[in-house]
Amino acid sequence: MISVSNVSKTYGRFGRRTRALDGVSLEVSRGETLGLIGPNGAGKTTLLSCLLGFLRPEQGSITVDGKPPDDLSVRARTGYMPERLGFDRELSGGAFLAHHWRLSGGDPARTGEQVAAAAARVGLETSVLHRRLRSYSRGMLQRIGVAQATLGDPDLLFLDEPASGTDPLGVAVVRERILEAKSRGATIVLNSHQLAEVEKVCDRVVFIDRGRLTRSETLRGDAATPRRAVFRVPPTRVADALAALAAAGFEASSRTEGAVALPAAREEEVARAVKTLALADVPVLEVRSSADLEELFRGAADAASGSPGGEAGS
Amino acid sequence: MTEMVRRLLRQKLGSIGIVIALSLLGLLTVFQIIAGGGEGTLESGGFLALLILAAGSVSRDSSSGALQMILARPIRRVEYLYGRYCGILIAYTLYVVTIGVLALVLSPLLRSMLGVTVALSAAGLARGVVAAFLSAALLAAVLLFFSTFLRGYGDVLAYFLWTLLLGLPDALARPLGTTWLSRFGSLARENLLPRVSWGDVLRGQDVFSGAVGAYVLAVTGYLALAALVFSRREFSYGQD
Repeated sequence: MISVSNVSKTYGRFGRRTRALDGVSLEVSRGETLGLIGPNGAGKTTLLSCLLGFLRPEQGSITVDGKPPDDLSVRARTGYMPERLGFDRELSGGAFLAHHWRLSGGDPARTGEQVAAAAARVGLETSVLHRRLRSYSRGMLQRIGVAQATLGDPDLLFLDEPASGTDPLGVAVVRERILEAKSRGATIVLNSHQLAEVEKVCDRVVFIDRGRLTRSETLRGDAATPRRAVFRVPPTRVADALAALAAAGFEASSRTEGAVALPAAREEEVARAVKTLALADVPVLEVRSSADLEELFRGAADAASGSPGGEAGS
Repeated sequence: MTEMVRRLLRQKLGSIGIVIALSLLGLLTVFQIIAGGGEGTLESGGFLALLILAAGSVSRDSSSGALQMILARPIRRVEYLYGRYCGILIAYTLYVVTIGVLALVLSPLLRSMLGVTVALSAAGLARGVVAAFLSAALLAAVLLFFSTFLRGYGDVLAYFLWTLLLGLPDALARPLGTTWLSRFGSLARENLLPRVSWGDVLRGQDVFSGAVGAYVLAVTGYLALAALVFSRREFSYGQD
């Protein structure tokens, strides 16, 4: 669906040139949700801007279904939410959504209905839509930004820090909208520093540092990277748990009191480990199976900086 | 494009500050017209109003991030650009027509108060409105061109610098005593910022003069250049 091939982008002129993207290649399949992860200044927004056709790479190519990203037929299926929400503060929320509905080529006769539905989906009351955007809180702006991006159910969604600055309820609303778009088969590219949220919604994440893709991790499906699993058991039963797991062929370890960890396990292996512990009569108080994006993020950053202990990117 | 026109009108005429500034300017112009300035005052009085309406027409959308959201929609860049241009001219036309009508309506009352004997004619005012519109079409095209690549209100500053720059050869030619420099300055000014006596043209005089031709070429040139620059421009913002 989205194909990025050896893309490089440099900012600045003469002596002050900064390489924002350096030979980035990437494929995003139809219906896939891809997370872009990296430190500030890594090149994530530049990549997103290239994917949207706002920036032109000096080298390499980007296509969406074989067409350039600024092709109008691609744009007709695109929803985009920028990171910075300093837009159209003089407009009311309703006028802003109506403006974008019409710009997206939506039927003018259905404007009111679509605006109300989009606002309701992000939990904004109709009365709020009459207020000017300048009176909106940061959280409300984020919500109306998400409502704008998802107007007309686009096939392609580009979201730049969609839940930044929102309260937990707002974070949940953003997550629900992403999952809803995902369930109807939309292809989503998400740029976010909220790693826990990225993990909840993304099928795959790519790590970007200094303009390069340093690592790619599949979080869901058959090709998913094995995850670290942690079982919390009563501290007095840790030894029994380790013995039972070792007997079943697992390489388990315990570094924290009451916690037994499997370094890398697939979902079915986690289920088998739980069953093993239950059969050994070891109570399992909690199971956490996570990709631990924060740890991977550190590893990718270390690998990029060449510091010891860093993992090589895949 | 209609949506872009609507957007500009909402942005400019939806701002209380702009509406107050235009109202004060408008009232001042109405008084000047009635006090003996005649319909020609519409053209000169409208200059500041046009600067207010056209200033930062593209750059403000670009710096706020609104432009990127618009360009992510199925809309051509040139549609956005010319939509802004049409919006400026529509807003300006509303402004000068309102002033013309106000001047006509208030003329009998204010003429006796100000002791003015010369009466205003509706036909003369209509000519003034058309002349103001035609002058504005060139100025708006120049400002739009500068706004496609300059930040904030850099377009207005660039316009003044541009007029100064075009006047420079002429100013230097006299002390230096070089006639070719003077000729070059005149040629540049007449072609890049042509001044047409619209009052005469609208009365049927010099309709096909060189000045009118230069005006048409200049408006077309600035708009074409604006489209070229804007279609090639890249937009980015925010942190990576």
